Amino acid sequence: MDKKYSAYLCTGCGIGDAVDMEALSGVVSSEMNMECKTHQALCSADGRTLIDADINDSGINTVVIGACSPRVMQDEFDFGDDKITIRANLREQVAWSNPADADKEYVQEQASDYMRMGCTQAQKSELPDPFQLEEGTNKKILVMGGGVAGLTAANEAAAAGYEVTLVEKSDILGGKAVNWRQSFPTKAPWTDMETPIVNDLIQAVQDSDKITVKTATEVARTSGAPGNYNVTYKQAGTKSEWDAPAKVGVDEQDAIDKGTMEDPNAGLKHYMDDNPEGEKFGAVIMATGWTPADVSEYEHLGVASQNVVTNAEFEKMAGQGKIVRPSDGKPVESVAFVQSPGGAEHDKDFPYCNSVTSLVALKQAKYVREDNPNGKAYILYQHMRTPGSMELFYKAAQNDDGIFLTKANVMKVEEGADGSLSVEAEDTLLNENLSLNVDMVVLAAGMVPTTKDANVVNLAYRQGPSLIDLDLFDGYADSHFICFPYETRRTGVYACGGVRKATTVDETIDDATGAALKAIQCFESADRGVSVHPRSGDKTYPEFFMQRCTQCKRCTEECPFGAIDDDEKGTPLPNPTRCRRCGTCMGACPERIIGFKDYNVDMIGSMVKAIEVPDDDEDKLRFVVFVCENDAYPAIDMAAMRRLGISNLVRIIPVRCLGSVNMVWIKDAMSAGMDGAMLLGCQYGDDYQCHFVKGSELADKRMVNIAETMGSLGLEVERVAVTQVAINEYHKIPEIINEFVEEIVEMGPNPFKGF
Amino acid sequence: MTMKVDPDMSFIKYLKSAGGDTLKNCYQCATCSVVCPLSKDGSPFPRKEMILAQWGMKDKLIGDVNTMLCHNCGDCNTYCPRGAKPGEVLGAIRAYAYTHYGFPQGLAKLASDGKNLPILIGIPAAIVLVLWLISGGMHMPEGPVDFGNFFGHWDFHWLTKTTFFIDIIFLPAAAFSLFAAYKGVSAMWNKMSESLEISSDFSPSAKQFTLEFLWPAIKETVQHKRFNECGTNVDRVKGHLPLLLAFIGLLLVTGYSFVRKDFLGLIYPNLHGPIPLYDPFKLLANISAVALLVGVAILWANRKKMEADGKAAPTFYDWFLIWEIAAVGITGLGAELLRWADFGVLAYLAYYLHLVSIFMLFFYMPYTKFAHMVYRTFAMAFEKYRESSFVQKESS
Repeated sequence: MDKKYSAYLCTGCGIGDAVDMEALSGVVSSEMNMECKTHQALCSADGRTLIDADINDSGINTVVIGACSPRVMQDEFDFGDDKITIRANLREQVAWSNPADADKEYVQEQASDYMRMGCTQAQKSELPDPFQLEEGTNKKILVMGGGVAGLTAANEAAAAGYEVTLVEKSDILGGKAVNWRQSFPTKAPWTDMETPIVNDLIQAVQDSDKITVKTATEVARTSGAPGNYNVTYKQAGTKSEWDAPAKVGVDEQDAIDKGTMEDPNAGLKHYMDDNPEGEKFGAVIMATGWTPADVSEYEHLGVASQNVVTNAEFEKMAGQGKIVRPSDGKPVESVAFVQSPGGAEHDKDFPYCNSVTSLVALKQAKYVREDNPNGKAYILYQHMRTPGSMELFYKAAQNDDGIFLTKANVMKVEEGADGSLSVEAEDTLLNENLSLNVDMVVLAAGMVPTTKDANVVNLAYRQGPSLIDLDLFDGYADSHFICFPYETRRTGVYACGGVRKATTVDETIDDATGAALKAIQCFESADRGVSVHPRSGDKTYPEFFMQRCTQCKRCTEECPFGAIDDDEKGTPLPNPTRCRRCGTCMGACPERIIGFKDYNVDMIGSMVKAIEVPDDDEDKLRFVVFVCENDAYPAIDMAAMRRLGISNLVRIIPVRCLGSVNMVWIKDAMSAGMDGAMLLGCQYGDDYQCHFVKGSELADKRMVNIAETMGSLGLEVERVAVTQVAINEYHKIPEIINEFVEEIVEMGPNPFKGF
Repeated sequence: MTMKVDPDMSFIKYLKSAGGDTLKNCYQCATCSVVCPLSKDGSPFPRKEMILAQWGMKDKLIGDVNTMLCHNCGDCNTYCPRGAKPGEVLGAIRAYAYTHYGFPQGLAKLASDGKNLPILIGIPAAIVLVLWLISGGMHMPEGPVDFGNFFGHWDFHWLTKTTFFIDIIFLPAAAFSLFAAYKGVSAMWNKMSESLEISSDFSPSAKQFTLEFLWPAIKETVQHKRFNECGTNVDRVKGHLPLLLAFIGLLLVTGYSFVRKDFLGLIYPNLHGPIPLYDPFKLLANISAVALLVGVAILWANRKKMEADGKAAPTFYDWFLIWEIAAVGITGLGAELLRWADFGVLAYLAYYLHLVSIFMLFFYMPYTKFAHMVYRTFAMAFEKYRESSFVQKESS
């Protein structure tokens, strides 16, 4: 594109009061060689007319707006997809960040730098050219699992007009719900149990001409990418040469080559091999559910007795008819539902115990009452969790004369000679220890997600077959419960139901519907060549200048979403439809060959260099702060709106994610004589808030390395820093930035300044 | 201590039918224990009683001192976030306890059920009627209406015929009632004592018991000290206090009348016949009668309002006592007014009904809500006893 530039400065919202606009305009026109116009309210109809006239009359196609934050007035400054628009944040970061009595000279320099950076960014930006799959986009959905979640997802996707193949490992559809006697209430008054709807769901799936069902089938491997997955099936329980290969890292490959380690993938097809027999899909919905937790370790609860069963076993018995005691077939009169293992660690629940298992106890207590008008059901709990309207279900159960509830620490369950069980409990609400004599004891075994111990999704990816880092979520197929529901660390794979979180049938249906919509959104976005959440609609994608690649594999290793495969030599093979456009690969690449059309190493580097660093003034130090645009940048805007004040020695550059920060920018800044550099991003670790999961964590590691390098050059390591901030912590922004500045001011200027 | 738990489902059903229909609503938040003036550290009353009731732990509850001490001030009902109405549940437990301790059991059960109301009225109505027939007094005597001639007249100087018949009806009934109350209260006392470890060789003498425990309890009752601490339902004091004072007044008048007619009357024959209006005791009697009617009317209205507001369920246990007291008051005052108006037949008929209602009130006292008079007083005595050195020394 032949670029024709024009810059516009807005004097409104206090910008004109803080800055000498004429001088600023002069910087743009003389230093940056761009025509520059000033208006008192660029966002007004009048202001817009001014810009539109230049676009239409003078063929301007690259616009630099020096006004408010790029986070606001986005419609007002949208000049169409064929124009490049760059926003320099003069309002929040200059006018609103300086106190009224700030030194005018400093403020003017700050505003000038932002315009220099904005114009540089405009010069280095190109219009995006969206990625298209060569084969075209496949819009079929693979649903793994034929339980309530899978059936619902299949029905919903079919209802939206998409073809679905549903794969179920067992011989029949329905999953766990098939054996249930009843399910929880799903409507007002939330007191009456309902006939499980699973049979209706099965019927709907079987009646649909858009859904193909494959029972007794497993997915051996899923290769490819969203819009172009290639799935190989196998008979359930068998092995196949197409089973997904385990991840083999660089060191492991060395060991295998030297013969010191056995190849875990011996006999399996290479992960990049393409099975011509495979079936193509656009997206995958993982609805593989859960399994009851193993409670056999709790010997003090009498697990050896036949009359002590898990809730899952009890449900099965209830589904078959009147409940009888396993040891002798006696109709059951009294049952104790034990919700927590008790004993010394009495506040701990059974593994994977949750609100659903609380509700199950209430439901099964009702069975005891249904089967026998004199039946007695004791629920001994440490935690009774009945969220939302389920509180009414709890109330209804509580109101039953024969259901007895108490918080209790169950110490012992013992079988008597006649098969009955004695239950001893301490710390009860009755203020005394209890001894109950019951026919059966039901233990609240939790719901363990199938992803806890198995790969399940079986991806043929460079980063291995499973969803990664699930230990952060106790094995649940999750990536961030609040920010990314249904999403996994693999774009195109969406989880729902028991595999994602312990859910009731009602919640599972909501969940599965959401996952189906996510799956559709995914391949429809791929079809339009744009990114999915969180950079929804982004048309750019990372482009590689392969001639200079050294096959270091950093990008393939570090991509949080496993988007990059590789060939035998280690040359990266990017899959843009798996990519979420965070730029972590760009930050990782030591050769700096990865970049986006509107965001690349050269562009940001040039912006850093565009900052004017006075080399003869002890007071005018310069700091660059790379700020994650997801949370930290809005936090800075909010701090500005509240006029909290940020040092005017600082220049802020937004980045897609701290993971995309290439360390060369830090070197650029330091060699330009700047006095400090800081990265401001999201929290990482167990409770990460990073929108791209790994970005801020990787940035932190890289910064440790760069600090070491600086140290060896004789520069103080304190001149570079990484800080985590949450979007609601705007009040901490001045403290974080200003303290960093003050520390370095005390330390003195960069000793290499001026060289 | 470990307790064997085997919930008594029939007990739960009974409580639900006797005003405690909300008991299963309780989810043990203990708001009631926070507002209840009876609740103490380590004894979360009535939260604990609520779960014991939900679990059908009859044995624990009938020996529970606090349950007996509760005067249903209603704070717990007002503040309960789940509408479990602990106060109503405790009332139902007390009703159950009076029947449980009642002696003889057959009569106690009879008096606990509204279905038996015709029999409950029928027994005294028949007794008085039969004796009235036997006395031969069942005809209009000459002269102005004089209830002294209700059972007729004879010329035996030392005891009038009517007094004789009144005595043979009411003295055995009162004795029986007192004995039954004694039996019930001592059963309760024993049950309550089970939870304390007391050795039998260290117990208060009758005098110590009366002076140290019983008398202070009676004093506290008369002063309505605890009742006045009521937060939300203080109106009930306005009904209950006049009623209590009326009963005391009428007790004094009855005593005076007994002395005047049965003893002084032997020497001064002109003391027979109606006590003149200017007599301070007659004045007290009439004031008490009015106080009784006012008190019962306030309680009646209160109860109706509570039921209308959904704060209480109508039960035979509660209403029977209100009806009884109202009947005693109305027939008593009615008889007096009719006597003054000299409506002969009606006046005697009203007097007959008055006798029947008094009989009912006292004869069924140990089994109906009226029993709270003795059970509560002794529970208060027990409370003082429990905190006294007789018990504390033993346990420490």
